[in-house]
Amino acid sequence: MKKITDETRAEVSEVVYGFFAEECEVGIEEINDDTDIFQDLGGDSLMFLELIEIFKKKYDLNIDLKTIGKYNVKHPVNTIGELIKTQLLIIEHENAILELD
Amino acid sequence: MNRKVVVTGINIISSLGLDIVTNWENAVRGISGVKRISLFDPGGLQTQIAAEVPSEFEYLVNQNIRKRSARQMTRVTQMCFVCAREAVEKSQIDFERFDKTRCAVIVGVVNTGNSSVEKGTTIQNAILKSMNNSMSAWISMEYRLMGPNYTVATACASSAYAIGFGYDLISSDRADIVIVGGADSIINPEEIRGFNELYALSVSNDPPEKASRPFSINRDGFVIGEGAGILVLESEKSALARNARIYAEVLGYALTSEAFNIMAPMKEGIGMASTMELALKNTKLKPEDIQYINAHGTSTILNDRYETLAIKKVFQDHAYRIPVTSLKSMIGHTIGAAGVIEAAITILSIINKKVTPTINYQKDPELDLDFVPDKAKEHEITHALSNSFAFGGHNASIVLKRYSG
Repeated sequence: MKKITDETRAEVSEVVYGFFAEECEVGIEEINDDTDIFQDLGGDSLMFLELIEIFKKKYDLNIDLKTIGKYNVKHPVNTIGELIKTQLLIIEHENAILELD
Repeated sequence: MNRKVVVTGINIISSLGLDIVTNWENAVRGISGVKRISLFDPGGLQTQIAAEVPSEFEYLVNQNIRKRSARQMTRVTQMCFVCAREAVEKSQIDFERFDKTRCAVIVGVVNTGNSSVEKGTTIQNAILKSMNNSMSAWISMEYRLMGPNYTVATACASSAYAIGFGYDLISSDRADIVIVGGADSIINPEEIRGFNELYALSVSNDPPEKASRPFSINRDGFVIGEGAGILVLESEKSALARNARIYAEVLGYALTSEAFNIMAPMKEGIGMASTMELALKNTKLKPEDIQYINAHGTSTILNDRYETLAIKKVFQDHAYRIPVTSLKSMIGHTIGAAGVIEAAITILSIINKKVTPTINYQKDPELDLDFVPDKAKEHEITHALSNSFAFGGHNASIVLKRYSG
């Protein structure tokens, strides 16, 4: 289990905000934690998977996509804030994230 | 209920240009879009020529498609999407004023062009770029249209079939607006080799612009073209209510299957003739009501011979009074997009009272119709046929009419 620090939270937020600003061609100032990824940004579900790949490399994570799929069935992600929260849980618990339920 | 179906939006992207006006002007001038292939090095292939969409198309992509979406589309899907955006803009439709469950999209697609020539395919976007339903899906998402949304695959007749099915949805009062069309590019080494094996492609590489010569004595196969075409079909009632420009009426169509051979047409053009006869019957027209035929005219030995025989069988003496032209002489064979591109040019022929030429024409004594050699000509048209005859025996004839209220 990895320890989540304030620095980790800031890094994850920065990457997520930057990713959506770039991919959805919006100003970073137009995004906040309540922004709906689909309705407000016109995003798609693949973006979540692409971010996981980014964080897998960045934090050397042991996480399977099927694990994330199972977790997301019970914990759907719609907003930027929900996505950041889920990413932090993945970084912290990796494949053990399912045991949180 | 049998409602009138009219065309209120129209656009083409092809080797002759990136919009409908440029395509029309170049077609009237008899310009060839066929050149040596630049998308990849064709050295070593028997056929080294094709009619490619101008490279300035990239500018349209940047103007019309979000970067992320563009990465999830092939170049062909981008062509379809950009073409549709322009057609919808021309139609001046505000979809927010419509019941979107009665707005549909039907696109004729043979494949999306995710070949070895396609750039930027990754494991993340490979499926999205390959999905045959992606073109209609992207268009439907762009305008949040929630009526029927699907792809038709009937080879070279695909987008003609799309027009027919769109007509059905509107005439039977199941939709008010249907965006129909097609896009295609098979300019890649694999498919060129495949069609060369079938002896279907011209190998007259030099000069490229002379290779596509439908109905000519020295024709030696078709030339591959690429492009997209879109028509916005709308109920007459809806078009009149919003005071829309009406380009033409789709009077009806016929679809048939030859059930004969996976590649060759039925001997003597029997299947082609049946299709045109059925189109006349379905629209309650007599042969002498038709003033123009936009032929399938591929420049292959068999198609052009059989299509000529079929026209003569259906129209008898009147066949000699009907201009019969092949746009493929200029833009090559755009496969899944051919039906709609040719229907669009037919509509402009009706509007402008002018038919585009069949270029590179050299008389074949056996094919003795008026193929409008090399120069466009003034011609009044009330009713026109646009033919599409595909590998697999998928035949279509679309009947278009000058709109007269």
